[in-house]
Amino acid sequence: MLQLSGVSYRYAGYSNEVLHDIDLRLDDGEIIGLVGPNEAGKSTLCLVASGLAPASIGGSLRGSLTLDGVPAAGLATHKLAERVVIGFQNPNTQRSGIAATVFEEIALGPMNLGLPVAETVERTRAAIARLRLDDLIRRDPQRLSGGQAQLVGIASLLAMQPRHVILDEPTAQLDPAGTRLVGEALRALATTGTSLLIAEHKTDLLDGLCSRIIAIDGGRIILDGPTATVFDDPRLAALGVEPPARARLVRALGNRGLEGSIVEDAIAGAAS
Amino acid sequence: MLPAAVIAGVAGRLVRISALLTLPIAISVILVSVFTRAGTHVLFTIGPFDATTEGVDFAGQTLVRLFAISTSIGLFGLTTEPRSFVLDLERRGLSPRFAFVALATLEAVPAMVERANIIASAQRARGLDTEGSVRARLRGLLPLAGPVVLSSLTEVEERSLALEVRAFGKPGRRELLWRMPDSTAQLAVRAILVLALIAAIGGRITNTFPRLP
Ligand SMILES: Nc1ncnc2c1ncn2[C@@H]1O[C@H](COP(=O)(O)OP(=O)(O)OP(=O)(O)O)[C@@H](O)[C@H]1O
Ligand SMILES: [Mg+2]
Repeated sequence: MLQLSGVSYRYAGYSNEVLHDIDLRLDDGEIIGLVGPNEAGKSTLCLVASGLAPASIGGSLRGSLTLDGVPAAGLATHKLAERVVIGFQNPNTQRSGIAATVFEEIALGPMNLGLPVAETVERTRAAIARLRLDDLIRRDPQRLSGGQAQLVGIASLLAMQPRHVILDEPTAQLDPAGTRLVGEALRALATTGTSLLIAEHKTDLLDGLCSRIIAIDGGRIILDGPTATVFDDPRLAALGVEPPARARLVRALGNRGLEGSIVEDAIAGAAS
Repeated sequence: MLPAAVIAGVAGRLVRISALLTLPIAISVILVSVFTRAGTHVLFTIGPFDATTEGVDFAGQTLVRLFAISTSIGLFGLTTEPRSFVLDLERRGLSPRFAFVALATLEAVPAMVERANIIASAQRARGLDTEGSVRARLRGLLPLAGPVVLSSLTEVEERSLALEVRAFGKPGRRELLWRMPDSTAQLAVRAILVLALIAAIGGRITNTFPRLP
């Protein structure tokens, strides 16, 4: 379990807080979606939940982050990395720059954890299979397309088999097929007990993946509840977040007098 | 040095690079030593300066040394990928952190050049003059320096964060996945070179080799 209690955060060298009084609890095996307009503080919240802010990037934090009951404050960064990992928005910065092939790139995390070679290789293979990267394993990580780099970045994190995963716009550069692939991989990961916090503008991805959605704006939590409830909430559009197609369809048909549950059933039928 | 370069297939580039590297120093060495070295055999005189055979001899020796040094550095640079070099150092006991810093430094330059090119074409698309006369190009390039350096820095920072996330800072030895290919021929050549080095130093100390005047 990953828990933020009463968290406010200010970047180093700035006088204003960007997050205000955030309470968030991420249970094992749970997937929470984080939505909000640009500048809402999603990336900042991801940094704080991963423990990198303030431990690595400085700034000042009020409130607390605990990981499986252990306060994150005071944990060395490599100890932190054994409990929680974060994937950044930009896949180019995700790349280590020291691996000559995609295979080595993905193996770097488990290798750093000090695992025996056999286990490093096994975890790497599993992550590669999960994101169907077999065709890329011999390629130079510096010469990948944006989407490929993003998949490799996610595989590099999965290979570490962390308890908690924070992802900041993991599918920003991916096509629909790649996005679905990531969705499937993350869902499979959650069934093994890993908890995930995913900041995304693609609400359609979150709709099929998350049990809970948190909407933030101006560094504050505005909405927090079960996925369907939050995505159906009219206040969401006011935040500038576009609800998923399913929610918009249900609302549009409902406005024309069609029973919502009929639409839901039809959509469920079409999806299966 | 040259046979090795020929084997590696980089002889042409090596000679060019070494010549370019040594040229400025070579010119000054020739001028200074040929004309100011005291000697008895005066070849010719320009104004107050006498060119002596001793001077020419000394300049020749210095040039040979210079060229030897620059070709060895050049050959190393042309045949060794920074990445393999640093990773092999780590395999031999260098700390991973140090290896990363060394590698980041070695690779920062080509990365910056690549970024500078991207930013330059972006600026050109917006009408900035980066071609034409040298002065115009300098004027055009100055505004690029800021973005290039700054974006490289923030990227390096984010990259080091991403590495931390992947437990890079964890103390203790890691079991490295990769092994550098190291053939018996390579081992043999290395051993011979080490012996030759010891012999050269030993010879110099004991004065076994005829010393150059
Ligand atoms: N490194 C930083 N230093 C100072 N302020 C920052 C830094 N990064 C972000 N901010 C500020 O924090 C606020 C929240 O930004 P954040 O990047 O968390 O938004 P976001 O929700 O991730 O936006 P986007 O959807 O564009 O990714 C913004 O006002 C931003 O200017
Ligand atoms: Mg962001």
